[in-house]
Amino acid sequence: MKIAVLIKRVPDMDVRFKIAASGTNIDESGLKFDISDFDGYAVEAALQIKEKQADPAASEVVVISLGPDVVQETLRKAMSMGADRAVQLKHDAPVHDSSAIAAALAAELKLGSYDLIMFGRMSIDTANQSTGPIAAELLALPIVTAISKLEIDGGKVKARRELEGAYELIECPLPAVVTIDEGIARPRYPSLKGIMAAKKKPLEVKPANVASERYTLDKMELPPERAAGRIIGEGKDAVPELVRLLKEEAKVL
Amino acid sequence: MTESSSASSVIFAIVVVAAFGFFSYNVQRLVGELQLGKAPDPRWNDLPRRFWNFLQIGIFQKKIFRDAVAGPMHAAIFWGFGVLTLGTLEMILAGIFPGFSFAPFVPAPAYAFYEMNQDLWGALVLAAVAFALFRRITKRVKRLQGKETHANDPLLILSWIGALMITMFASHATTGIAHELLWWTHALLVLGFLNYLPYSKHLHVVVSLPNVFLSNTSGPGVIGAMRPMDLEADNATFGAKDVEDLSWKQLLDGFACTECGRCTSVCPANITGKLLSPRKIVVNVRERLEAAAKGDHSKTLLDDFITEEELWSCTTCRACVQECPVSIDQLSVILELRRNLVLGESRFPEEIMPAFESMEQRGSPWAFDPGDRAKWAAGLDIPTMAEMAERNERPEVLYWVGCMGSFDDRSKKTTVAFARILKAAGVNFAILGQEEKCNGDAARRMGNEYLYQMLAKDNIETLEKYGVKTVVTACPHCFHQIGNEYPQFGGNYDVVHHSTYIESLMAAGRVPLREDLHDPVRTFTYHDSCYLGRYNDVYDAPRETLRRALPMLNIVEMPRSKDRGLCCGAGGGRMFMEEKVGKRINAERADEAIATGASAIAVACPFCMTMMGDSVKSRDTSVEVFDIAEVVAGQIAT
Amino acid sequence: MASNIFAFAESRGGELRRAALEAVTAARGVADATGGQVHAMLAGDAGIGAHAAKLGAAGADVVLVLENPAFGNYNPEALAATIAARLSTGGYRAAFFVSSAQGRDLAPRVAAKCALPLAVDVTEFTVGGDSATVKHPGYTGKVIQSFTLKSATAILSLRPGAVLPKENAKAGTIEQISSIIDPRSSRVVVTETVKGTGAKLDLGEAPVIVSGGRGLKEASNFKLVEDLAAAFGNAAVGATRAVTDEGWRPHSDQIGQTGRLVSPQLYIACGISGAIQHLAGMRTSKTIVAINKDKEAPIFKIADYGIVGDCLEILPVLTAAVKEAKKGA
Repeated sequence: MKIAVLIKRVPDMDVRFKIAASGTNIDESGLKFDISDFDGYAVEAALQIKEKQADPAASEVVVISLGPDVVQETLRKAMSMGADRAVQLKHDAPVHDSSAIAAALAAELKLGSYDLIMFGRMSIDTANQSTGPIAAELLALPIVTAISKLEIDGGKVKARRELEGAYELIECPLPAVVTIDEGIARPRYPSLKGIMAAKKKPLEVKPANVASERYTLDKMELPPERAAGRIIGEGKDAVPELVRLLKEEAKVL
Repeated sequence: MTESSSASSVIFAIVVVAAFGFFSYNVQRLVGELQLGKAPDPRWNDLPRRFWNFLQIGIFQKKIFRDAVAGPMHAAIFWGFGVLTLGTLEMILAGIFPGFSFAPFVPAPAYAFYEMNQDLWGALVLAAVAFALFRRITKRVKRLQGKETHANDPLLILSWIGALMITMFASHATTGIAHELLWWTHALLVLGFLNYLPYSKHLHVVVSLPNVFLSNTSGPGVIGAMRPMDLEADNATFGAKDVEDLSWKQLLDGFACTECGRCTSVCPANITGKLLSPRKIVVNVRERLEAAAKGDHSKTLLDDFITEEELWSCTTCRACVQECPVSIDQLSVILELRRNLVLGESRFPEEIMPAFESMEQRGSPWAFDPGDRAKWAAGLDIPTMAEMAERNERPEVLYWVGCMGSFDDRSKKTTVAFARILKAAGVNFAILGQEEKCNGDAARRMGNEYLYQMLAKDNIETLEKYGVKTVVTACPHCFHQIGNEYPQFGGNYDVVHHSTYIESLMAAGRVPLREDLHDPVRTFTYHDSCYLGRYNDVYDAPRETLRRALPMLNIVEMPRSKDRGLCCGAGGGRMFMEEKVGKRINAERADEAIATGASAIAVACPFCMTMMGDSVKSRDTSVEVFDIAEVVAGQIAT
Repeated sequence: MASNIFAFAESRGGELRRAALEAVTAARGVADATGGQVHAMLAGDAGIGAHAAKLGAAGADVVLVLENPAFGNYNPEALAATIAARLSTGGYRAAFFVSSAQGRDLAPRVAAKCALPLAVDVTEFTVGGDSATVKHPGYTGKVIQSFTLKSATAILSLRPGAVLPKENAKAGTIEQISSIIDPRSSRVVVTETVKGTGAKLDLGEAPVIVSGGRGLKEASNFKLVEDLAAAFGNAAVGATRAVTDEGWRPHSDQIGQTGRLVSPQLYIACGISGAIQHLAGMRTSKTIVAINKDKEAPIFKIADYGIVGDCLEILPVLTAAVKEAKKGA
């Protein structure tokens, strides 16, 4: 079983972002970066598949990331979790067009004859949710997206996708592309042993071939500040006002 | 035994040589076992301190006397053995060299005194042994029970000692063949005893004194500081998985332990029904060592002897270490095993993952925006180090706020109160604001040395950048880390806990208090923080601070206080773990505090604040929980 | 002249989804501004065409109906191929999807097949000339990104709820179409669609969480929390560590640093003071409601809406009001 996992380096989300002077990026100073959440689940799911094989050593998990040299840190993190080797598709400028990214990734994936190609269901920063499906199309491989359960059984992918108030059970033959939703597996915490081992694992750097973009970022802005806590009233008399606000302002009812 | 024939002298000499030969064989065997421990652990530094420990804790039985009943009993046997060993030596020499006596070598009155003491101490030992047997058989003292104990061994040993005394007295009181028989019985019992020791937990008798001498639990070195790991060294194992990964000294602890159970009897986890027993940890080390020495590689100390559940129950409160009469360091074994779990195998309770991740990503165990760290200071006109540095100024002290003080709503009140005190006292201070990161204590105690060193080094870099000399903090964990463990990485600062700092400000008359201190008499109890107390020996400053702030205050002590204080349950990363087994430790402690009848519980640690506060809320009581800084701030003249 | 607007009308199990009406309404808006027609496409098992009238009422000029048993379950490959073929024939200025579970899967497949740029989770858009601009929240909603799609045909997948369905009746002329590929030849097969069984929603997935703290005073009062959750219909019940420690609720219900970390659309904290341990687990919820006796409680600092008072008294009233509101929806 040869598995590729495509991962992206993203900033930690538990901060209040500032917009950089360019207006088209966040101010990255002081931010910590890590593997995108869904990509982390994908790495974990891949490792679990490998570990379940009759002969895990005969399987390989390759992590691939497109970006500048800092993504090597993210690739090492995935290798510290247990991925066997890594490929950096070096590209320094930010790319927003999923088609352009997918094309560059597909070119690399084509060379690897992978049995299974895994993406996170989306990158948690730009959240375009399209790179995996477009790459699958370019590779002419079947794809199952946003899966919360995955089983490889007799050359087949058996997966589950959560829907609104329901779920689907899906099958497709290997080789295939899948994109991973949360709930599949909590990423393991890399042990120091893993971190040490990752330093010695192969990391190949190749230039990425990124085509011109037809989907371009014009501007980034912050949403309106969330109003500070508001006490709308006392006792049960405040309930009608609460229900009105939930309906009209928060639109959650 | 002057009338002994020369034939019997020869036989006796052979017996003595055989007995000592066998004993020395066993000593070599045991030394060989100790050498299985591969972790380097030099112990020959600061000899004066070691002699002092040897005298105080060893010879004068300082810790033994912490138990009012067993203390005198044990001391009588111990000192009695010391005195009687001289007599035994004389007897053995006389057995080989008929007619030998110390008498010609010392002045007559001295010899008379010695002889009198032999009988006196013999009687005392006999009485103590009788009492010990009586206590063992009839009282079922709780701390002496436990699955890990060798319950019959003490009965054998006590009887053996009793028989030694009786045969000694009886041989003195008889003549002829009866004397001869008793003499031989006594001598053989002595030599047998010597050779039985290496095969029982009563190896304690010979190992304890060296163990006290070689121990670091009462110094030398920084008390309670964890061993720094060299993370660059490419080791196959991290921390300890088996006895080979421990040090010879940690293994020696196993030989010194006589299973008295004082450690387990004060362990907050054990008291409240968790699986952990510090005594079992030590007994397991010894048991596993014996098996490993015989070449048994089918098992490991971790998992086969000591389970994960036991290890994660530990609050690192240090009560076990504090209590041990022979200076065993149970905690160091627990922490090394935790290191192996986390660093080597990434095995830990899943609920601590968010704390690890957040410390790494946001520099705080709580998943809050680091940008909000100084939010509490909004409008209080408190400069950051960066702001002062910009103006080319340097504050008198850096106020290290800590994560709880920065993000926890309840603790923020303490933070503000302490800042008010500093301001009222005219202290020129600054904070780090967003540049402050978690001190890393919880990470380190949870075994994550990698994460800890990352945080420690980041913090040291920041402190160095501003040339910080003096740090004050309201958090005992920050206090202990920055002051006691950061020096391991080159961070040397004068770190003062806020209790000590406020007390010194008040003593210097720098805190302007209200004139009309006519408050009604109030009764508080003070809950000692482990990292302030047992780790740093600060017991009086917080109490004194309270008394200075509230002259009419009546402080009532809980039954377990000061160096016997019971942990709140949050230490060692327990704050970030679930407590599903037994009674919650904080509930046990809060019940104890409430039972004093005090109207409030004073604390000096944000973790204690949370634990005590939570528990008091679950009880039907009006008892409140305050930090000492809040008490003082409430008395500031406005 | 590319002027028509395509809208994908999502259905599941023979039922039209609300997303279908949102897509048609959005398409209608663009068509009205640019003068084209709205072509809505509906696919499903035999009989799905019965819903065409509703799409007409929402503004579809033409309803493309694909009736085939092989579309009884979602058939992504055949559906994507058919839509892509349709879009490639030209004549479409834009194609609207909704970023529901199905739309999120389908839209990128279509975009990839047509080699067209795509925007997902769109909250605002303008379609003009040979490009479209959109707004799309990123960074877990903390940053709003504006993008331009440079293409004569823009594929836009709307964030659910971004466009509210409106009546704007058009002809809704039915045009039967068939799958461009043999739908039974799809490599990706949905073998089963399982409806929510009414079993308890998982805390990680529920869009609404009603959570109780020590302010509920005793275990039996959790009934009030459960009732409110039931009134929402899509809510899970959570608890604080104090409550799970007391054994009022199982540990698996705990929300907080040492329990579950959640961020639902709506979080209702009942009798919860807001200890750091709890806040760490839920503060990223989209909308937070707090009900607590103590108006100084930290929970009010992060709540969007707070009511000061006894939750034992307030919860039944709120439950009744939510039931009433849900009836109208």
